[in-house]
Amino acid sequence: MNDALDVALRLLVVFVVFLTFPLIVGQTEHKVMAHMQGRLGPMYAGGFHGWAQLIADGVKFAQKEDVVPAGADRRVFQLAPAVALLPYLLVLLAIPIGPGEGAVGQVLDAGVFFVLAVMGVGVLGSLMAGWASANKFSLLGGLRTAAQLLAYELPMLLTAASVAMAAGTVSLPGIVASFHWWWLPWQITGGLVFFTAGLAELQRPPFDMPVADSEIIFGAYTEYTGLRFALFLLAEYAGIVVLCGLTTVLFLGGWHGPWGADGLGWLWTLLKTALLAFVVIWLRVTYPRLREDQLQKFSWTLLVPLSLAQIALTGIVKVVIS
Amino acid sequence: MAPIPGSGLAKGLAVTLRTMTRKSVTEQYPDALPDLPPRTRGVIGLFEENCTVCMLCARECPDWCIYIDSHKETVPPAAPGGRERSRNVLDRFAIDFSLCMYCGICIEVCPFDALFWSPEFEYAETDIRELTHERDKLREWMWTVPAPPALDPGAEEPKEIVAARKTAEKLAAAQAEPATDRPEPGEGEA
Amino acid sequence: MSPLTQAPHGFLSPTGVEIAFLLVGLVTFGAALVTVTTRQLVHAALWLVVALGGLAVEYLLLTAEFIAWVQVLIYVGSVVVLLLFGLMLTKAPIGRSPDADSGNRWVALAVAVVAAAALVWVVVDAFRTTWIDLDGAAAGSTKVTGASLFQNWVLPFEALSVLLLAALVGAIVLSRKAKAESAPPPVNGRAVTGSSPSVTGSGIHPIEQGGEHGSKLVSTRGSEQGSEQEGAR
Repeated sequence: MNDALDVALRLLVVFVVFLTFPLIVGQTEHKVMAHMQGRLGPMYAGGFHGWAQLIADGVKFAQKEDVVPAGADRRVFQLAPAVALLPYLLVLLAIPIGPGEGAVGQVLDAGVFFVLAVMGVGVLGSLMAGWASANKFSLLGGLRTAAQLLAYELPMLLTAASVAMAAGTVSLPGIVASFHWWWLPWQITGGLVFFTAGLAELQRPPFDMPVADSEIIFGAYTEYTGLRFALFLLAEYAGIVVLCGLTTVLFLGGWHGPWGADGLGWLWTLLKTALLAFVVIWLRVTYPRLREDQLQKFSWTLLVPLSLAQIALTGIVKVVIS
Repeated sequence: MAPIPGSGLAKGLAVTLRTMTRKSVTEQYPDALPDLPPRTRGVIGLFEENCTVCMLCARECPDWCIYIDSHKETVPPAAPGGRERSRNVLDRFAIDFSLCMYCGICIEVCPFDALFWSPEFEYAETDIRELTHERDKLREWMWTVPAPPALDPGAEEPKEIVAARKTAEKLAAAQAEPATDRPEPGEGEA
Repeated sequence: MSPLTQAPHGFLSPTGVEIAFLLVGLVTFGAALVTVTTRQLVHAALWLVVALGGLAVEYLLLTAEFIAWVQVLIYVGSVVVLLLFGLMLTKAPIGRSPDADSGNRWVALAVAVVAAAALVWVVVDAFRTTWIDLDGAAAGSTKVTGASLFQNWVLPFEALSVLLLAALVGAIVLSRKAKAESAPPPVNGRAVTGSSPSVTGSGIHPIEQGGEHGSKLVSTRGSEQGSEQEGAR
């Protein structure tokens, strides 16, 4: 009974985090982007500086009609948002925010593999949406999504493998537990590559060609309305949370901090994650979108060699110090 | 230019970050009234005491959005035995702001300073006919006309002031030398 | 995989894990059947996702966590995505494809049945009465898998990697040759149309499929697509 309660509580906490953190990131994006462009952003919803804007958006989405195009593949079309969203919920379950059993939804032996595998599944949602919409722009978006995933899965995996090599384990809490401060310069290349590749996998600007609105309307999500569209957006922001949390755990030492407050480890994790989320928004505001072929070239000629070099470096240092 | 790779990217990031720390330029209009520049073209006010129904404004208006009706009245002679004078009396003066394109030509051409710009702009209506402002409404706008802004420092002196000063100087000069030159009383009114 | 420790492993009093294993197995089997029988190409690929995912769950139930996640990562995350990519490039129609049927389906069925029988026979013969102790240390954890892979099975592992390397080199050679033949790259040659909708015969292996697509597309549509294919690989 106690075990069941424990599991239920953990699931509940992860679910609440899953529902709130993406909204917080979204609201931050509204405000940060506005101020970076010399605007104010939402100011009305909720009263104080528009804090409830995304809740208002959610209510609006819920009221909209759920349209399925006549020529669409109905079931695949309707299933796609769930396929896009659920993997991030599962990934969130495995990210540790503090030391010990209590600070992670579920300790997994092969955490790194689990996380990367399940994140890759999320892209299937975009593919299904792109194909099932019976719309050429959606199809183009789906194609771009697939090409992008194939290009960026590899550097992500390689850099994650580099960290796993350094730590000697593929368990996420295990990796953070064996973190030392000098890993930061050691794995910095890997960290940058991982973060960049993650941005591309999430289709965030400047790598948002799959949804490039000036070229292909909204890519795979063109035909979606109402709640299903909102789910896709939620998936994007949940993806930001997951990516930033993962980068924190793998490369920035998770709950380790300069002033090693033992009880406040989770605060360090959250702080680093929030900082990375800010960087994601910052990059979005600053850089224009790359072209699709530039993106592929960037991955295959820069990120993959860099991650391979990182693996080599990790191996050499590992052999030297052991 | 230092060709450090990525320096352009860093510069871009710096620009956005700097903008974020600055005050944003958004006007929160319904909550805070905008700070409009002087001579803002909001609405046209009519000071009908100055209007002589010369019709210049209505004729010059590119949109033909000024409607003027008037009739003539005869005024008894000022002095006994004199001729009767006729005078234009304004019956209607209306501007259709649904046609007006805010060019300001009517105000420029008015020889008697009867039309003025007012910065008021909140007169949107739900019925287009309401946008034809009759003379009483135009008169109300007149009271919102601000005083003309001060001239820029170093600007040319206004012509009427120059003329008045020259006259005054001439008068003073004439009074200083009454023996040589007889003062002409009509000169000051020219 | 600890050998038989206690006797009473009866089939008549199955544990919860065993029931789950059976149910997931049935689902996987059903999904696999639908995959090969459906007339809708993309649906087949999506049912393949279900089948492969079911297989991953079976691995999990057998405590082989590492294998399970690698299964998801490679097969669901990459192979199926590549498959879908190929299907979309060939403009797979929504609805039934009339030509999505093979003339030698009975031969295929026979091959499948024979292969399944051989596999079942081998597995049953090898693990006749072996029971996995679910409560003890995981028998398929990453550590155990890694140790056995690099201690007992190094040679097959390396042989496989050489095979993959050969396939990789082959793919590069194919795409490079095609590039030299074609004209200077058009700027906006990203049309989705054209090409027959029957490239599904290509294998599931990512590298083989990529190479096949690359050469096909380049020969018809110029090297823009070729370079994209190269990128996708």
